[in-house]
Amino acid sequence: MKLYSTVLLLFVSISSFGQSKEALEAKDFFWGANDAYKNATEIPEKWTNESAVVLYKNINYDFHKFGKNVTYKTSIRKRIKLLDKAAVEEFSEFKFQKRFRSTKGRITWREKGNNFVGIKIVKPDGKEIEIDVEEESVEVDGENKIAISNLEIGDIIDFYFYRLEPFKSTYAFGFDPVETTLNEEYPIIDYKLFIETENDFFINFNTYNGAPKLKELPTEKRNLRRYELSASDIDKSEYKRWFFPLLELPSYKFQVYFARSGKFEDRAMAFLPEREDIIKTSVSKEEVLDLYENRFRPNGNIGDVKDFFKQKTYENSTEKVTAAYYYMRHYYLTRFVEAIFAREANIMYNPFTNYGIPVFIQNQKQFVRHFTEFLQREKITYDVVVAKKRYDGSIDDLLLENNVNVLIRVNTPTPLYAELFGIHTNINEFSPLIEGTDVYLLSPTKKKIDVIKRGTLPVSTHLDNETKKDITVNLSDDFSAINVSSANHFKGHTKTEQLYERLLFNDYVNEDYAKYGTKNWIEMMRRKKDKARYKKELDALAEKLQTKQEEKFKAAAEADFNLEEFEDYTYTIDATGRYAFDSYFSFTENFSITNALLKKAGPNYIIEIGKLIGGQIDLEEKERSRTADVHVDYARSYNYNIDFVIPEGYTVAGLDKLNKSIDNDTGAFMSTAAVEDNILKIKTSKYYKHNFEPNENWSKMMAFLDEAHQFSNEKILLKKK
Amino acid sequence: MIKRLLPLLFFVITISNTNAQRKIEPDATDIAKAKKLKSIFDNDEDDVALEESTDFVSFDFDSKHNKVTVSHEMREKMINMSTRADIQKYCFYDGQSDIEAFEINYKNDRSARFYFKDEAYNSEDLFHNDARVKYTAVDFPIQGYRYNTYIKKTYKDIKYFTKLYFNDEYPTANKIISVDIPDWLDIELKEMNFEGFDIEKTTEPSPKSKSTRHIYKLKDISAMAKASNAPGPTYIYPHLLILAKSYTKNGETKPIFNSTQDLYNWYSSLTKSLKNDNTPFKSKVAELIKDAKTDEEKIKSIYYWVQDNIRYIAFEDGIAGFQPDEAANVFNKKYGDCKGMANLTKQMLIEAGFDARLTWIGTKHIAYDYSTPNLSVDNHMICSLFKDGDILFLDGTEKFNAFGEYADRIQGKQVMIEDNDKYILKEVPVSNAEFNKEAFVYNLSLDKEVLKGTASKTYNGESRSGLLYFFDQLKSDKKEEFLEYFLNKGNSNIKVSNIETSDLSNRDLNVSMDYDIEIKNAASSFDNSIYIDLDIDKELSNYDFKERDVDYIFNSKKYLESTTNLSIPDGYNISQLPKDIDISSDNYDLSVTFTTSTGLLSYKKVFKIKNAKIETSDFDEWNTFNEELNTVYKEQIILTKN
Repeated sequence: MKLYSTVLLLFVSISSFGQSKEALEAKDFFWGANDAYKNATEIPEKWTNESAVVLYKNINYDFHKFGKNVTYKTSIRKRIKLLDKAAVEEFSEFKFQKRFRSTKGRITWREKGNNFVGIKIVKPDGKEIEIDVEEESVEVDGENKIAISNLEIGDIIDFYFYRLEPFKSTYAFGFDPVETTLNEEYPIIDYKLFIETENDFFINFNTYNGAPKLKELPTEKRNLRRYELSASDIDKSEYKRWFFPLLELPSYKFQVYFARSGKFEDRAMAFLPEREDIIKTSVSKEEVLDLYENRFRPNGNIGDVKDFFKQKTYENSTEKVTAAYYYMRHYYLTRFVEAIFAREANIMYNPFTNYGIPVFIQNQKQFVRHFTEFLQREKITYDVVVAKKRYDGSIDDLLLENNVNVLIRVNTPTPLYAELFGIHTNINEFSPLIEGTDVYLLSPTKKKIDVIKRGTLPVSTHLDNETKKDITVNLSDDFSAINVSSANHFKGHTKTEQLYERLLFNDYVNEDYAKYGTKNWIEMMRRKKDKARYKKELDALAEKLQTKQEEKFKAAAEADFNLEEFEDYTYTIDATGRYAFDSYFSFTENFSITNALLKKAGPNYIIEIGKLIGGQIDLEEKERSRTADVHVDYARSYNYNIDFVIPEGYTVAGLDKLNKSIDNDTGAFMSTAAVEDNILKIKTSKYYKHNFEPNENWSKMMAFLDEAHQFSNEKILLKKK
Repeated sequence: MIKRLLPLLFFVITISNTNAQRKIEPDATDIAKAKKLKSIFDNDEDDVALEESTDFVSFDFDSKHNKVTVSHEMREKMINMSTRADIQKYCFYDGQSDIEAFEINYKNDRSARFYFKDEAYNSEDLFHNDARVKYTAVDFPIQGYRYNTYIKKTYKDIKYFTKLYFNDEYPTANKIISVDIPDWLDIELKEMNFEGFDIEKTTEPSPKSKSTRHIYKLKDISAMAKASNAPGPTYIYPHLLILAKSYTKNGETKPIFNSTQDLYNWYSSLTKSLKNDNTPFKSKVAELIKDAKTDEEKIKSIYYWVQDNIRYIAFEDGIAGFQPDEAANVFNKKYGDCKGMANLTKQMLIEAGFDARLTWIGTKHIAYDYSTPNLSVDNHMICSLFKDGDILFLDGTEKFNAFGEYADRIQGKQVMIEDNDKYILKEVPVSNAEFNKEAFVYNLSLDKEVLKGTASKTYNGESRSGLLYFFDQLKSDKKEEFLEYFLNKGNSNIKVSNIETSDLSNRDLNVSMDYDIEIKNAASSFDNSIYIDLDIDKELSNYDFKERDVDYIFNSKKYLESTTNLSIPDGYNISQLPKDIDISSDNYDLSVTFTTSTGLLSYKKVFKIKNAKIETSDFDEWNTFNEELNTVYKEQIILTKN
């Protein structure tokens, strides 16, 4: 007996020795005596057919400090009842890192962050089995994996991840913002979020779409503050088409800022609450002005831009601003593209050496300062636009600085908008995610910004964003193939997407060099020998990319038409359309379809002509009863002209089904078909008229979507005379 | 912005990590060589070729551990045949092997100073294993660019050094394999698949070093095929199978794997060390068999419990790759690999009073049987049950596999069954294609332009177990949706309703599904005729092997019998039917027939893939069939008004 108790004691002390103080703290925090959910096992009747039900989900954020030393703890616990094999499979393996390097505050190479993991299984008879994570996990290259033993359908898995991350920060420091819905993959019975802070930590927090409010809880210390969000009975969320979860589902957003004194508070790029004990739930117009008044002073070295304008004259300020935008896009970006490729392809280790001191414009704020420096010198007035993306609520719900998009409205007779450029962006083009949103306009009277007013950004229409195809279709003499030649044109936002997908660097850098008379990367090299060598290597890279690009174009065409295995595919780029939002990017492609669309019918042929407008949205039955609003990327139109050359000796029948017309407030699908000479001419137009439709308009949207889908199923008969 | 540019680049390049500037440009000879090789290995997929690839293998003796060790040195001359190439050069190793040298040099043999990464190899099939990979990205900026590589890999024990291939990941102009066999080592280099390859073989005895050098040379070898559904490499590529028989040291001869018995002895030494304490699952076994009326019911109850309750999670770390886990551990953990599951099945059956034994097997992926004792002969373990003079096989990794049925991957394969100090060799019975029969019947009639009617499908054998397993793995709330999706293929033109199925949790029953069906947009009226596309399944339409140069392996034998009966509306005649098809060979019987009787058209397809494969010698005939079949699929049935 004595021996037994000694052995037991030894065992207990070894096992507690094996777990550090923090590990035990973590365990006690979740599974200790105060665990109110220890006995939670039952699920409501309505969820018995689910794969799994979360009995309790608990998320915690703790922020503590001692001077510059911050202790940041985040943890999550989930207690989940597993109701089928899929759920058992889902929770049968875990991966984690025990130690990690903090990326916050001062950079350090020491691994001092720790993760503590606890996993237990509760069997249907109530028996609890705690997994010995230390013993059962395997570590390879710093990553730990554990396969959960003895997990079966009907079990409850109760696990926590507890992340302890100490770091030092002298300056103000913003923790990563959190924006999330309460809903997840599985339904949740009880949900609790706790935040614990003390002085020097500033919190912005709010809940949306019916999520319960954050409540302050009493604490044992004056300095210590604790808050709780408590929710229950939360349905699972599922992927939906054209859906913005943060606008529809109960959700919360928050960010915590660490600032040790007023000086640091002022410097923080955040809408901080006035005091640490106030939770900031919204940001007023005045606070926006207050934060930004000194942060958008025009500033940037624009000497080279000035040189460009020497001896050039422009009709008006609109032309001048437009010219400046495209020149800057080249001077600060596309001029470096070959060098970026050369570096990434390992052609040259430091390919920027010949540029002198290159200026890279890296973010929206820098762009605003740089571009307004030019505007100010040219005495052109402007406003700085403060906008928020459509998917995370209106400007009135502004809470986090990270959610802000900034761009410039140039006050030319018709305002021009300028947003941080990309290689293919245009003046007067800005993210479709902020189009049509309410914004703040910040105006400078002198150097400082001192006026703020509300405004609304314009929204592009379906006429602005267009996909246009002129398709000519010929049958081969023996009717074995359908030969297609398609001239494709894109403008507006549709074009921008296409350009990123389809242009290789040598498809666009040369036109910029030519337009601005600048030297390319090779020409900038001083030594002749280098020039020859690097040219060879860059050309080889371009050639290689070109062969891959052809495969990509072919695959894109096949995907567009929802068909496989096009033959004899070729393409040519006809115009890049990179110097105006409303000019077309055009390319022509030729290919043969041998295994689809053409079906023999005795002496006649059936042609699945409708498929030539490409794959159409095929709504699933459950989508038809949609209850959410509809958020599409942007309004847009698809206009197709299809010329089908009728083979000699044949006539066509079945044109009546190709004439369709649905046109309502939300969109349209219209088509006409007629024979002229020996050509069947088909015109189709599909419009999405707005980027947003309230749910009550869904049936109208379905009407044109269904009509387009039906068109894609239509056939004609090619009848032997 | 840069982020948005880079994806363009990433799809051809995995960025190499070199800190040196290359200065060794290809000269005219290199470029000419590259072009010549490109014309020899005319293939879009291959950018890099090996001008020379030499494997040199030698053996030594580790007297401390009494093991024969192996040194495998690989020298390659890589050249870029294409405009630019980016590859990853890598070498695997594990607990039984080491990489002693890994060098990549410019053509002048100066180091290219690539940065090598050394990572655990993550396999999707294995939860944890000791395999690691050392690798680097290598860039060839222009055509004709060359690198010389040298890798020295050593094996602590000759057992784990099992074969040498002539083919590589890249096409190879000159391949040399030299093996120095010392006189104290008895080893056979078994020539596999040499037929049809012009392999030059020489032997050079070296009395001085008391060894013999065996040299094999082969020219212009294509790269190993990247085709999917290809047979395992041991079937198609020439290679040397290393049969290490014995060694003689200090006048004493010790066996390695001199015979199959030696291989068994080693396997058996690993299984004999198991404790086999059945206590933890005694009560489970009692519970499982308590209501069973017959032996078969008892066996099924245990076998199905293992299939359903033991998750496949494999730890292949060191000896765990060969030694089964204790049955008690597998039972307690509810997971294990094939060996663990076989062992648990065995011990539970023993507990229930049966004679059950561990059984080694190489799946269909491996060409060998136990006549060549070598660790690469097998890759799987199952359990054999001795009953009434019969031997039955139980594979716990096969989910929803009914007792007495065998997955195609083990059918016809030789097994090695434990029998105390001896072993028994047997073959897993082979079932025919009929066993996996899928039968579909559609009874349809026209309602204007919509085809309406009923459908009935049955699935047998492996077509059934695969479906049941997939269904079982689905989330409960998605199961209903899945059935609909499975039957209408996600096509909203096909509406299915009133689905009635057999019990989809019972693996002993064949699966049946009966439902109502409506098909839109498959019939079109023009003038006085209705044109009908009667087939919504169009099986085998995408099996075109025109570009293929290796056999195509199906995952099981197929037998599909599909009948569509269409009622002809009053006042209509069939004016056009596609042509029937009927072909047969050793590997397949394929037919399509149209028959008509009063008011009824019957369209029947019978596709039988008898050996789960189409061989390259079948391809000409098969491709003709495929074209004819697609012609049928594309042809419309025409009904014309009387």
